[in-house]
Amino acid sequence: MTSPKSRKLTIPPQSHLAKLLDTKQVLLCVGCGGVGKTTTSAALALAAARAGKRVLCLTIDPAKRLANSLGLEHMTREETLVSPEIFARAGVPVDGSLTVMMLDTKRTFDEIVIRHASSQKAREAILNNKIYQYVSTSLAGTQEYMAMEKLQALREAGTYDLIVLDTPPTANALDFLDAPERMVEAIDSPAMRWFVQAFTGKSVSLGLLGKGSQLVLKAVGKITGAAFLDQLAGFIAAMNDLFGGFTERAKRVSEALRGPDVAFVLVTSPEPMAIEEINFFADRLREFAMPRDVYVVNRMHMPPAPLPGDLAGELVGCGLPADPAFQHAVQAAHHEATLLAQRDASHLERLRIDARDPTPVLRVPAFENDVHDVGALARVGEALIGHVAA
Amino acid sequence: MPTSTSRAPGSLGSNGLPSLDALRFIYVTGKGGVGKSTATAALARAMAARGRRVLVCMTNAKERMSGMLGSPPIGPEIVSAAPNIDAVNMEPRKCLEEYGVMILKVKALYKALFENRYVDSFFRAVPGLYEWSMLGKAWYHTTELLSGKTSDDVDAPYADGWKYETVIVDGPATGHGLDMLRVPRVLLDVAPAGPMRKEAERAWRLFQDPSHAGVVMVTLPEEMPANETLELAEGVREMNLPIPRLVVNGLLPPLFQHEQRGLLLARELPLGLTSAHARASREQIQEDALAKLATLKLPTSYLPFLVNQEPSSPQAILALAHHL
Repeated sequence: MTSPKSRKLTIPPQSHLAKLLDTKQVLLCVGCGGVGKTTTSAALALAAARAGKRVLCLTIDPAKRLANSLGLEHMTREETLVSPEIFARAGVPVDGSLTVMMLDTKRTFDEIVIRHASSQKAREAILNNKIYQYVSTSLAGTQEYMAMEKLQALREAGTYDLIVLDTPPTANALDFLDAPERMVEAIDSPAMRWFVQAFTGKSVSLGLLGKGSQLVLKAVGKITGAAFLDQLAGFIAAMNDLFGGFTERAKRVSEALRGPDVAFVLVTSPEPMAIEEINFFADRLREFAMPRDVYVVNRMHMPPAPLPGDLAGELVGCGLPADPAFQHAVQAAHHEATLLAQRDASHLERLRIDARDPTPVLRVPAFENDVHDVGALARVGEALIGHVAA
Repeated sequence: MPTSTSRAPGSLGSNGLPSLDALRFIYVTGKGGVGKSTATAALARAMAARGRRVLVCMTNAKERMSGMLGSPPIGPEIVSAAPNIDAVNMEPRKCLEEYGVMILKVKALYKALFENRYVDSFFRAVPGLYEWSMLGKAWYHTTELLSGKTSDDVDAPYADGWKYETVIVDGPATGHGLDMLRVPRVLLDVAPAGPMRKEAERAWRLFQDPSHAGVVMVTLPEEMPANETLELAEGVREMNLPIPRLVVNGLLPPLFQHEQRGLLLARELPLGLTSAHARASREQIQEDALAKLATLKLPTSYLPFLVNQEPSSPQAILALAHHL
């Protein structure tokens, strides 16, 4: 499964990834949508479980068949232990344990509200607020933030040796890193406090805010409609009351991302758009002085083995047709595979690797079929971290 | 529920499908990596070639459209990108400011607003406002007349015509993509009377009108994208939005016949024949995915998989435009 190129590296990226699984407590798999991030996360989680770890795989939106392969009717929003029988049946020995869970953004948010609400009344006011209902499901950044919030809660519980987080497919890498900040801004920022105070006129500060504020507020109201502001002010005030410590909480979540026990796995495909996105993400991580531990490049087309010299003979030997049309099709398939491998290799050159601090690049070959059984997942894991001794 | 087959202006395009040309507003969506921007660019090219004046709106994206259209970089100001095609990469802050200026009119007022140090982060934090600022801007451009006036009565004849006959929005990846489309409806729920609500109502009315607007879904003929497309279609239909076209990107022209595929896939083959095995496998997966997509009963366009050229080059886009 190893590409010839990655073998040339002094430290095989596989053993690097294996070491991450062994030494870190959190693996964050990041990358844009459609690059096989969920599969990579699940395969890494399984590989760590096989190596004896108690692992939780926290995923966002897994394919149903992947869930089914793990013996689950559908991926649940509860922590669900994958039955050892499933592994036994697939002939995949697992020394540790694998628990899976699907992130439920709204529920995670609801849980925070319920945990922190000062009274039944305050709780209901929030949960029934229309703006809250939108924020808790649809606001860009909420899902990202809640993934981290859940991650933090699970870490604090200390049940697992390793948590693998399959991050939401961000339209924009910034969303993920900025999510805590954005959440705070949405609920408890100076701007929001200014707004609530100025709008409700409840504080002594109208004078302090200056004449400008009222003018500004009037202008904002003209744009959004004053009644909308009214609703918004109600929402913000309720949230503020609820989260005295929300800023603190978000800060802790944000800091936890920067801990030494957190590793970033940058997942991409050879598609130029995915590479561009992962480059951008890597730049952001660098800016934040955060680690870029390893690149996983999924769906690489590898150069095909040469066609047999005696094609017709080989086809007949395999019990296949050997007529010219079929031979031609086989040759065309080979030619296409060669072109695709060349194209992928040339696209991969766009991956920006820091010369002074090179991040290992692990190429994972395109699998013929989508991965949706434990056996296939185990094989992907082996491709990722090298062979796992049974 | 509006079905795609009951669309009013029933002229058939050259590919035998109900034409998209009569639509004033098209929202392109699909999972990340399926080729939404490629489809958007090709669709714009196809419509422009048939004489439609088109505006392509990107939603604060990493700008790749100029590479596809062969134009200078496309920023937050509308630029001419190709014959009959204008394009813009919408930036929420700027959209909001444009909107504010339009509504407030009084210079002192909007100066006070946008120079206030809190206002920027306030706007950033108001749920849905950034999404709406972009979607609202795209919608606004459907109301512009060549004369510089505006009207949103899509059926009224105007001597001077629409500035843009069709506005195509290259939406964010699914998830956020549907969230953005949902914003006007959320505004109808939460925002009481006011200019924002009024506009949201007008926009929502247009988006739901199958003879003038529609969601174009883009997908790949592969297992997971097909499954996700079924879910996406359900989400769009729940919102009562028309889906006039499904675009299947990256269609492989089959090399093997059905029985030949069966023979190849039934065998362990020597190393030298694995490329044939892999190709047969892809063809089989494609066939299954297409069958699954067919259950949606949507008018479907197929864009061929391009092996010999960079799929996002201007030449490739022009070639793909022939399929739309």
